[in-house]
Amino acid sequence: MYGGGYLFEKTSPDLLKEEDQEKLAAFEARIDRGEKIEPHDWMPKLYRQQLIRMIEQHAHSEIIGALPEGTWITRAPGFKRKLGLMAKVQDEVGHAQLLYSAAETLGKSREQMIDDLINGRSKYSNIFNYPAYTWADSCFISWLVDAGAIVNQVANSKGSYGPYCRALERICIEESFHLKFGHHCVTYLATGTPRQRQMMQEALNRWWYPMLMFFGPPDKISAHTEILMRWKVKILSNDETRQQWLDMYVPKIWELGLTIPDDKLRKNEETGKWEFTQPDWEEFKQVINGNGPCNKERLAVRRMAEKRGEWVRRAILVKASNKKYVTPLA
Amino acid sequence: MNTTALKELLYKMADDQLIMGHRSSEWIGLGPLLEEDIAFASKAQDKVGQSLALYQLLEELGEADPDTVAFSRPAAKFHNSIFTELPNEEFDFSIMRHFLFDTAEYYRFELLSDSTYEPLQQVARKFTGEIRYHILHANEWIKELGDSTEEAIARMQSALDKALPYALGVFEPSPYEQKLIDSGLFAGEQALQNIWQDKISEIIGQTALRLPAWESIEPVYGGRAGHHSEHLQPLLDEMGQVINSEPGAEW
Amino acid sequence: MDKILDPRLQRLTLINEPLPAKPELDQLPTFEVFVKSRAARPWRHEGSLHASTLEMAFVFAKEQYSRRGTCLGIWVIATHDLFVTDYADNQTDIYDQFTEAPGCSGEAWEVFHMYKRGTQHTHAGQVSAPTPQAALACARNALERPRPVLNAWVGAAGKFRKSTPEEEAMWQTTPEKLFREAIDYKTNEKIKAFKATQS
Repeated sequence: MYGGGYLFEKTSPDLLKEEDQEKLAAFEARIDRGEKIEPHDWMPKLYRQQLIRMIEQHAHSEIIGALPEGTWITRAPGFKRKLGLMAKVQDEVGHAQLLYSAAETLGKSREQMIDDLINGRSKYSNIFNYPAYTWADSCFISWLVDAGAIVNQVANSKGSYGPYCRALERICIEESFHLKFGHHCVTYLATGTPRQRQMMQEALNRWWYPMLMFFGPPDKISAHTEILMRWKVKILSNDETRQQWLDMYVPKIWELGLTIPDDKLRKNEETGKWEFTQPDWEEFKQVINGNGPCNKERLAVRRMAEKRGEWVRRAILVKASNKKYVTPLA
Repeated sequence: MNTTALKELLYKMADDQLIMGHRSSEWIGLGPLLEEDIAFASKAQDKVGQSLALYQLLEELGEADPDTVAFSRPAAKFHNSIFTELPNEEFDFSIMRHFLFDTAEYYRFELLSDSTYEPLQQVARKFTGEIRYHILHANEWIKELGDSTEEAIARMQSALDKALPYALGVFEPSPYEQKLIDSGLFAGEQALQNIWQDKISEIIGQTALRLPAWESIEPVYGGRAGHHSEHLQPLLDEMGQVINSEPGAEW
Repeated sequence: MDKILDPRLQRLTLINEPLPAKPELDQLPTFEVFVKSRAARPWRHEGSLHASTLEMAFVFAKEQYSRRGTCLGIWVIATHDLFVTDYADNQTDIYDQFTEAPGCSGEAWEVFHMYKRGTQHTHAGQVSAPTPQAALACARNALERPRPVLNAWVGAAGKFRKSTPEEEAMWQTTPEKLFREAIDYKTNEKIKAFKATQS
């Protein structure tokens, strides 16, 4: 589950001057022809570096994203919800597995990536630093956060790096289950008893602004990513993904009789764009920098999981017939 | 057909699967490595799915619907073995419990594939395939961890020692044991335990772990009759927290 | 830290301080997974995973790469047991690099082809040869290829953990696990009924 609010390092065109210009031209021509880049192909350092960073942030967002919904696994109401939620959170872990593998093909080991995550050197999606107070929060995430992730991931599956695209295609198929599952859960609450309805409305109120932030800061204040877009590393801009999501889901939220906590929200029929109250981008910065309501807990949980699993990994490594790590193929 | 005996059999099986599945679900997202997290999560889903199928058989026999039966009975009305309700502790105990439980489960379903009660026979036949994966998974873990670093062997040994008396509790005889056997509904706990002991000895024999003499282990019984440890009620409260918060609502 | 909301986590002890860097050793070997989803489809590469042994990799592969839909079996092999060719340039065939065909006998090799960038490798067939390079030279004539091959993988047949026919039963109930499928979560009726009460 990732909405595309990636954090890229500042890119300087100077970095490209050091590259072999002939190879660079062939690389760019390949991308222009719509062909994928595969792991053993020549690629500019900047491309490799930014892809690793992006795929890694995406992978981290999956394992951290498993936590707020995981909060409700043992309390999911009834068989259908329990089975669905277990499968859904399992998928998130599976997505992390696929994405870490894709990043590994670029030369960074999974252990290094996890090390960077648990020690706070890597970023992941901000939205998972907010708490899931009730069952309805979990339903909101399953439906609407996943919906946002799908907009970004479908776009990125048309990107230029083969292994990342293949992982995303698989992920998107699974996300279509998440979306339906989430919508089903929200529908039952929104059309249920007054208390269920209120529970859903309150969750929506809590998550609305973090959700808008999920896609990253507005384009006009974001880091310049032209070169990443030219190389099809990033496909849609933050504003584009946000607009697509609003277009697809605001009507569906309204259809359930729920209200959105923004009286300025409306679609401008002339521009075709949604107008809305901007979320607090200062809060966004604060959360990115570790000061959100759950940042500390999320990392503390991953550290615990890491520590609890350490003896297991050490023990099975002894059983490995060939201990040499080889970069996976795709 | 002896319905009382049959229901008792179905309840204890369904409750075992539900509570095991629930305990396994506590690991989702927190496993020792990503790949195992995924495998463990599937086992949790399978067990809960199997319990649902068994509760549906009970519903056909006139019991309440599966959600009501699973999420609103108090501990004293649950017939799972105490083994399944114990907390997960660390991966050593969790995987050891899976190994001991899954092996019993696999052979129980295999025996029930010949049950004279046809709906149960069908459910048993249907699930033996997926439970085959569960024992493949558990056996591999026991073989690797049980013959590895000193730390792992020590941990697995202590998990085995702790688990065995409870594992034997899975075979607590039912008051209707003879009726089940005579009617061909089920071959009985003793027959199952004999097969189970052989299989457990076979796998443990391939590791550095030591199995005590079977007769020296005192089984922990009680679960089948509704006498549980202090761990079950809090677990049931947690499972039912949301669904019971608004009676009559659909979730 | 605010109150932890997950009852599972309330029962555990979290770690608030950074951990020391992971030792380099803490990196398991990697494996490649191939799945056959239907009789008419070839074995197809589905992805990679980390595991200790080939058998454990097989156990992991089943749930990570075949937990939905139909599956007739999986093959798993250690990444380092696969011989990987270069990527051919457009319009050229990687087999142009493997023309010396020695005796096509000896060990059995499974050969996989990638025909187009961005797609997955699929199984082309099995050949006998003394080495992986020789296997490709033998495969050049022995195996069908509808179009030029961009990249090929070759692995000794004996190095794979292949599911057995009896193990097929493990996938028997997979298509019935509808709780993992979008199709099991229909909302139209519920929404229609709700709208009727609103108007």
